[in-house]
Amino acid sequence: MDDLNAIQARDHLELVERILAESQQRLCAGGEYFVVWGLFSGGTTILLSLIGRGTLPPAAVWVAVASWIACILFSIFRGRRLHAKSERQSLVQREFFNVLWLTIGLAFVANVAAYRVFAGLASAAVWSFAGAIVLLYIGMHGNRRAQIAGVVVVVSIVVANFVGTPSAAYALAAGMIVGYAGFGLVELVSRG
Amino acid sequence: MDELLLSKIRLGIVAELLTAQWVTFSELQRALDVSQGNLGAHLAKLVDGGYVREEKLFANRRPQTRYLLTAHGRGAFAEHVAELQSILHGGTT
Repeated sequence: MDDLNAIQARDHLELVERILAESQQRLCAGGEYFVVWGLFSGGTTILLSLIGRGTLPPAAVWVAVASWIACILFSIFRGRRLHAKSERQSLVQREFFNVLWLTIGLAFVANVAAYRVFAGLASAAVWSFAGAIVLLYIGMHGNRRAQIAGVVVVVSIVVANFVGTPSAAYALAAGMIVGYAGFGLVELVSRG
Repeated sequence: MDELLLSKIRLGIVAELLTAQWVTFSELQRALDVSQGNLGAHLAKLVDGGYVREEKLFANRRPQTRYLLTAHGRGAFAEHVAELQSILHGGTT
């Protein structure tokens, strides 16, 4: 085959540019994970705060354990289902899941293996920081809602620092429920 | 110039695979709007040339063929696009 002339070269370059522009689609964040883990994180913070204040019996902690197992099972099964259904997985999508699992994994280690270091509300704040990193990472790829949600979570950590102990738990929980779970809900609704 | 990438359809296939990890046959067909036979023939040439890797699997109990751009294909694409740009800026070769 002969080489191309300038007009054909332009035509081919335009095709490549169009395809690459279309493939730079917004990062699909998987709204359901945010809803589930945001509600779990916020709910657990409130639950542990109420147990700490004596409002609920210590045995109520099993509700958090059961919810935690349910969230993990949901994430595994939903993840497998989505993976089987997807016809295209972009490199940025793979990078996002790496960031997601690294961040959540480290927060999990802080909560389970370093619970003396991150005692009390610090463990909830670690989850909030992990959540904020994930949201702001999505935000960096052009998702304005994730940017706002990330800022909401960060603000909730700062607010928790300046209010009294019971309110601090509510501030952190609100950050995760409104910012993290709220973002997931909006993503689900917008995705239809 | 790269003989394999002189075809507009094959160039489109490689561009589609460039930013993706794996893309299925049906997704490529939808994206490029070409017939099944035409796409299959072009993909076979890219696979034979080592530009694209093919994998057959079952998804939800249905057979599925998906494709991945190899490092060789990625390099060839980059060189080819650079040559296209040089043609555009320097006239015909």
